[in-house]
Amino acid sequence: MLTAAVFLPLLGAFIAGFFGRLIGDRSSQIVTCLGVGLAAACSIPNFIAVALHAHPETVHLMTFLSSGTFEAEWALRYDTLSAVMVMTVTCVSTLIHVYACGYMSHDDSQPRFMAYLSLFTFAMLMLVTADNLVQLFFGWEGVGLVSYLLIGFWFKKPSACAAAIKAFVVNRVGDFGFLLGIFAVYFIFDSVNFDVIFDAAPGKAESAVTFFGIHAHALTITCLLLFVGAMGKSAQLFLHTWLPDAMEGPTPVSALIHAATMVTAGVFLVARMSPLFEYAPDALAFVTFLGATTAFFAATVGCVQNDIKRIIAYSTCSQLGYMFVACGVSAYQGGIFHLMTHAWFKALLFLSAGAVIHAMSDEQDIRKMGGIWKLIPVTFGVMTIGTIAITGIPPFSGFFSKDMIIESALASGTGVGTYAYVMTILVALLTSFYSWRLIFITFFGKPRADHHTMEHVHESPLVMLIPLGLLAVGAIFIGGGFNHFFVGEGREHFWGEAIKVLHENDSIHRAHTEHHNFFVQWLPLIVSLLGLGWAYLFYVRRTDLPGKLAAQFPDIYRFLLNKWYFDELYNWLFVQNAFRLGRIFWKIGDTGIIDRFGPDGIAMVTAKAAQRLRTVQSGYLYHYAFAMIVGIAVIVTWFVVGAH
Amino acid sequence: MSHLLQLITPALPEVFMAVAAMVLLLVGVFREKESTTLLTWLALAAMVVAGGLVIRSAPVTAFNGLFVVNGFTSYAKILMLVGAGLTSLLINSWAQREKTARNELPVLVMFATIGMMMMISANDLISLYVGLELQSLSLYVLAAYDRDNQRATEAGVKYFVLGALASGLLLYGSSLVYGFGGTTTFDGLATAVKAGPASLGLMIGVVFVIAGLAFKVSAVPFHMWTPDVYEGAPTPITAFFSVAPKIAGLCLFLRVLVGPFGNMIEQWQQVIIFISILSMGWGAVAALAQKNIKRLMAYSSIGHVGYALIGLVVGNEEGARGLLVYLLIYLFMNVGTFAVIMSMRVKGKNVEDISDLSGMAKNHPVMAAVLAALMFSMAGIPPLAGFLGKFYIFVAAVNAGFVWLAVVGLLASVISAVYYIRLIKIMYFDEPGTAFDAPDKLAGTLMVGCGVLMLVIFVLPSSLVDSAQAAARALFLG
Amino acid sequence: MNALPTEGAFAIGLSHFLTVGAILFTIGIFGIFLNRKNLIIIMMSIELMLLAVNVNLVAFSSYLNDLVGQVFTMLVLTVAAAEAAIGLAIVVVFYRNRRSIEVEDINQLKG
Repeated sequence: MLTAAVFLPLLGAFIAGFFGRLIGDRSSQIVTCLGVGLAAACSIPNFIAVALHAHPETVHLMTFLSSGTFEAEWALRYDTLSAVMVMTVTCVSTLIHVYACGYMSHDDSQPRFMAYLSLFTFAMLMLVTADNLVQLFFGWEGVGLVSYLLIGFWFKKPSACAAAIKAFVVNRVGDFGFLLGIFAVYFIFDSVNFDVIFDAAPGKAESAVTFFGIHAHALTITCLLLFVGAMGKSAQLFLHTWLPDAMEGPTPVSALIHAATMVTAGVFLVARMSPLFEYAPDALAFVTFLGATTAFFAATVGCVQNDIKRIIAYSTCSQLGYMFVACGVSAYQGGIFHLMTHAWFKALLFLSAGAVIHAMSDEQDIRKMGGIWKLIPVTFGVMTIGTIAITGIPPFSGFFSKDMIIESALASGTGVGTYAYVMTILVALLTSFYSWRLIFITFFGKPRADHHTMEHVHESPLVMLIPLGLLAVGAIFIGGGFNHFFVGEGREHFWGEAIKVLHENDSIHRAHTEHHNFFVQWLPLIVSLLGLGWAYLFYVRRTDLPGKLAAQFPDIYRFLLNKWYFDELYNWLFVQNAFRLGRIFWKIGDTGIIDRFGPDGIAMVTAKAAQRLRTVQSGYLYHYAFAMIVGIAVIVTWFVVGAH
Repeated sequence: MSHLLQLITPALPEVFMAVAAMVLLLVGVFREKESTTLLTWLALAAMVVAGGLVIRSAPVTAFNGLFVVNGFTSYAKILMLVGAGLTSLLINSWAQREKTARNELPVLVMFATIGMMMMISANDLISLYVGLELQSLSLYVLAAYDRDNQRATEAGVKYFVLGALASGLLLYGSSLVYGFGGTTTFDGLATAVKAGPASLGLMIGVVFVIAGLAFKVSAVPFHMWTPDVYEGAPTPITAFFSVAPKIAGLCLFLRVLVGPFGNMIEQWQQVIIFISILSMGWGAVAALAQKNIKRLMAYSSIGHVGYALIGLVVGNEEGARGLLVYLLIYLFMNVGTFAVIMSMRVKGKNVEDISDLSGMAKNHPVMAAVLAALMFSMAGIPPLAGFLGKFYIFVAAVNAGFVWLAVVGLLASVISAVYYIRLIKIMYFDEPGTAFDAPDKLAGTLMVGCGVLMLVIFVLPSSLVDSAQAAARALFLG
Repeated sequence: MNALPTEGAFAIGLSHFLTVGAILFTIGIFGIFLNRKNLIIIMMSIELMLLAVNVNLVAFSSYLNDLVGQVFTMLVLTVAAAEAAIGLAIVVVFYRNRRSIEVEDINQLKG
């Protein structure tokens, strides 16, 4: 059953991918949905056995690579962390598969789409169940590849292709760091196997390496390198630019890959490597700092965007920041908890955004919507549920996980923890603001779409609404339901060995025991409600205010609208220069020198040689025999002369 | 009776094959119809049984030291039997299609196979010669099998004359080795070589033996027959030529050089380096100017032999392992490619020009993809098996201190990549020509199977490498 | 007892036999690539080479006082017969197709 949960999606992808045209759209959909559905069905008993009954297990499949001391296996490592991830991924993925059947019904290459989705699910499962870094990297690259394929799914659209390439290239930067991290792990521990690494980690806590001439703490360097990989995949600051562009892909993709699962792989990686990170306090501080900063950055940008999917994308970016803050203050459990709740409500938000886009005849600009809540009440309802969940209003799921993170940040007591606390509180305000802004602009006010579009506004078909409904249920109850196990009293029994927290770092424990005054405890909720009020004021009551504010501070507004000018900066710094350098190499280096004396020159010489050899092969027997005799004569002479 | 059985047990696979071949000959004669299908399947069954017997056979030296069975010979025989079996299927479907199916065809293939099995197990210059000749004589006939075809018969004549010359060289070398080494058994020769510095006569004898063997594996400068015979002989028979005798020849080469003449490594190493470099270079460069795909494959196999010979140059267990892995991968690459070449038919007629491939990607996307994968594999580009083959060979060379030889090999494979990739370019980017007929089921299955294997082997090489390692170890244990 | 006298002014020794073998062998080889006329002559040259080998083997056998060389010779003779038969058969089918066995005409396949 453990194996089935991972490989059924692959089977579905295989069938739909290679025989999709043969068996038709409908059958492909059924096959892939069945594949992930069964996987999800398997994952729940697995979760109960592994996590709730504290019975971790590793399934060895076969040896992947074995060379010297280097050994990597294909194995499925089921501990609580993996079981949680597997359950989240398969369940959300199943719902999105079903949703996609409806959403993509007008597309003409549905089998391909479904196959990609299933393949993605498989790769993600390989990633989370890896029992060594190499297999994890396999899954890591696998999800990256499918993400690339799916962003560029509509490959006839130039912007989609550009976004796909951007995602790939930016991820490559992160992956490079990740690879270096793997090398470093192997260098230090002489193994890539998690069990071996984790057992040896305490012993290596003090060791140092010389890296590029810098004498440094070995585990800090390793963890930082691994974190670079996590930054790329999880769109943290400096490597975040691909995520908003990735919204060029179909909406189910955005929901599955760029919100619920793949982008959280970075968080998973940090949590998985917690036994290493625990011994690298500097790396943890960096993770906290970057997470908090990203959360803040993305939230500010999210406030002024107008594309419905981009807003949610920035919101994802920002929530990922939260998760990293949690990991950074050693509240990995809180990070994973938020990861899970986030997967549900963010998938819900994306899918309902998809339903809105569907209803509005493929319009994505929220300024051209408005006044449609009566027309699509179900969509409106579930989207509001998602928004309540993300803004952290009890008893919806976001409240529990987010609150835990904020409290842990404060409880950690370090300087950077305090910074993170301030930031996360601010971000909670902003999150609430932009999320409600989205709801108010999209659903309320006067209709701003043209008459024709408004006439066609319609509720989505059932095949889309049912997943939405189920996700909404999840978004409401998951947080409260699992609070006890993930971060509450039951957490030690629940997590077992899966996550390691040093006692002096245990900020969750401290958050539970230290009693703060009423204000601190309820501050997140208070700011969240403030944000709601603010958004209500701006976009329902006094709709003139936002414009005025923007006019008052045009620089700030433009700064935010242009996403802090990161794209422009990168363009100017890297892309332009790379092009310029490329042109120089091409014109002078390549055509001028290398081609002339290198390939072209060699090609000419070899082509001439080839012609000459053709004439040697004259077709006459006696020439052939002669060649043999000459050959043997030469060798014999060489021998005789050489021997004396 | 039981004594006789005991006596022949070590050679049971060969004996079984020989009896089966003769029975098949009789079956063929007594059936009225001239058809090869039944006989081919029977021959295949015989090969499978022989393969099973090979797997079950225990390491032993038999017939007064003339014949040896060990892990190495078993590995080589299995490989060779797989090659022979797969290609005999291709041969049968070709013969049925061209209406040239005659009873002796599968039987000839079987006789050649028996010869190769004997070559692999030979432990004496005499048994080596007899096995080699049984193989060669059958191959001469096979080359000229299409007897009403001018090109096929010309191929037969050329193969025969040059092959006989090579046999003559080998024999002359054998006689010198016998005279100056005092014995024909490999074990005795090994002792004699170990005893003291080799005499000049012995060294010249070894060179002649090397020349004879180099001819059989078509290493430069004894390769001249290869392109002509490959082009002239019927395509599936060329496929057979390109796998089974190459495997048997290279394994025999390895056994002869590291066995009896293992202590003369310093002397023969230089010769093998010489012919290895020449083969790699010649195979890479001469192929560039080819227009006929079978000729191209001939030069390609000359180049591949050059790479494989690097494993021989290294002359230790790692080198032997590299060579064995290389042969295994080479076997499937070639069978797959020849299955594609066999399917290059326009309106029922075979075409062989490289330019005929143009636009295959449009007309036969699967076939084009398979051929592309095979070509990338031949060029040694990851993630395909061909890369692994070269990798193990080059690693062995580097570990043994032959860095420069590995570099030469890399350069040659860069040059050869040009013509492999040119095929892909023609398939995918040139103006489509006439579409080929749909490939028959067998060729289709074979090519797709081989193409997929290229990936599978790359992903899961360990069991194959382990078995090659075991075989190589058995070789050096004696 | 050694069959070959090794002393005396006109004694024929091992080296003489070897020289004869070498000469025969060389003639055979030259016959293959100097002859441009007739395939049959090539066949004869091949026989000559094998003969040279046989002379070598018998001489060594006698010199070494070891019968294996003569056994080898028998086998070479047998195989040579088979080889000649097959060679002639191939030459016959070639002749049927081309109506010629001139060595210079065998050059359709080249390049």
